[in-house]
Amino acid sequence: MTHLKLSELVEKIEDVIQRRFAGETFWLMAEITDVKKYAGKRWCFLKFIEKEGNAITTEIKGVFWSNTYQHIEKFESATRRVFGNGLEITCNVRVRFHPRFGLDLEVLAIDVTYALGKLELEKQQTLERLLKENPDIIQLVDGQYITANKKTELSAVLQRIALVTAPNSDGQRDFKQEIEHNQYGYAFSVAGYLTQIQGDNASKLIIQQLQMIEARVEDFDVVAIVRGGGSQTDFKPFDDYELAKYVAAFPLPVLTGIGHDRNTSIVDMFARQHKTPTKVAASIVAHNYNFETLVINLKERFLGAAEDMLARAKENLQSTKRLIKSYSPVNILNKGYAIITVNGRIIVNPQDLKQGEEIKTVLKNELIHSTITKKTKNELDL
Amino acid sequence: MNLTYSSAYQSLEKLVDEIEGDNIQLDTLAEKIKEAKTLIEFCENKLRVVDGEVKSALGGEDGK
Repeated sequence: MTHLKLSELVEKIEDVIQRRFAGETFWLMAEITDVKKYAGKRWCFLKFIEKEGNAITTEIKGVFWSNTYQHIEKFESATRRVFGNGLEITCNVRVRFHPRFGLDLEVLAIDVTYALGKLELEKQQTLERLLKENPDIIQLVDGQYITANKKTELSAVLQRIALVTAPNSDGQRDFKQEIEHNQYGYAFSVAGYLTQIQGDNASKLIIQQLQMIEARVEDFDVVAIVRGGGSQTDFKPFDDYELAKYVAAFPLPVLTGIGHDRNTSIVDMFARQHKTPTKVAASIVAHNYNFETLVINLKERFLGAAEDMLARAKENLQSTKRLIKSYSPVNILNKGYAIITVNGRIIVNPQDLKQGEEIKTVLKNELIHSTITKKTKNELDL
Repeated sequence: MNLTYSSAYQSLEKLVDEIEGDNIQLDTLAEKIKEAKTLIEFCENKLRVVDGEVKSALGGEDGK
């Protein structure tokens, strides 16, 4: 019996595989799992699997090397999803065999269009389910989603903010920066509800934070959910059924700054969307500025009306003064009339005068002293 | 009375309507001006001073 060395047998296997697969590539559609990324080295190891029910029936190793690692980055930036376990991808692969590391599929490219289409389809299905199962809080009107949350009224001034974001994140920093250094000097109180906002559990963790905010709903005017940009962003938590439903029914107005121009998550559609953390903060500042402008307008109207009122009162006083002046005795004497007095008393009723009495007749510049010699009826035609 | 932005604004609006509609007697004008001034100052000050109902807790409350 002849014995083969291990390398001799493996060489035969390698030879078969070489002859069958050399120079050939295949387009493969499969689920991925056990994804391990080495960003520093720009390698990624994973497993392609196929299932029947929950049982894995087929499994093979897969690998990205540094010359194709860019496809993972492109995938993540286009889909806003983490390239990770459970994804179904379409990719171009080459079959390789290594005497030590065995058989694997080297990934050369990913079909991003397929991935986008699939994610979009999933999103549409989630949206349809949300609409169908929650007609009291979510409606679709003229292509726009109307939710109970979107209908909540904003307070006249938004000052007490519950901020949901990741700890020490760009989003938190950008939001704070814009709020604290606003040009009008408005004051705010910001309570941080900090949690992981990416990854498999993120939607649950965000719901937990919202529940804590809801427990002290009277303490806040508004909730801001923000996240910074960057290529490693993951939209999945914000397309989650439960989180979207929770936001749609949330009693405080929710402002979102989690997306980019290209992407709108379901949570964005169900709340007040402002794209970036900075824009959320700016919109809050602008809201308060609008209120202050209204107050200033009222102030000016009030002062204007008060001034008018005083001016009119002054005018009235002037005309009354003129009237009083026109009735003064000096004016009467100027016109040629006279006043008759007896013992310093003005005589209004001529019956008070007796014949022989001494009277004084007051004229403009003279005083006439006389004695009454005779009284007769006045028959002058004046 | 617990004054809010909305109630302050509404009261101010009412005062403006009264004075513009000549529904204020001259002898109460001073009082109304004082009232308006109080409301305006309330809004202006409150916008710029946090009244401490919610302490700023950025980073302090991580929900754990």
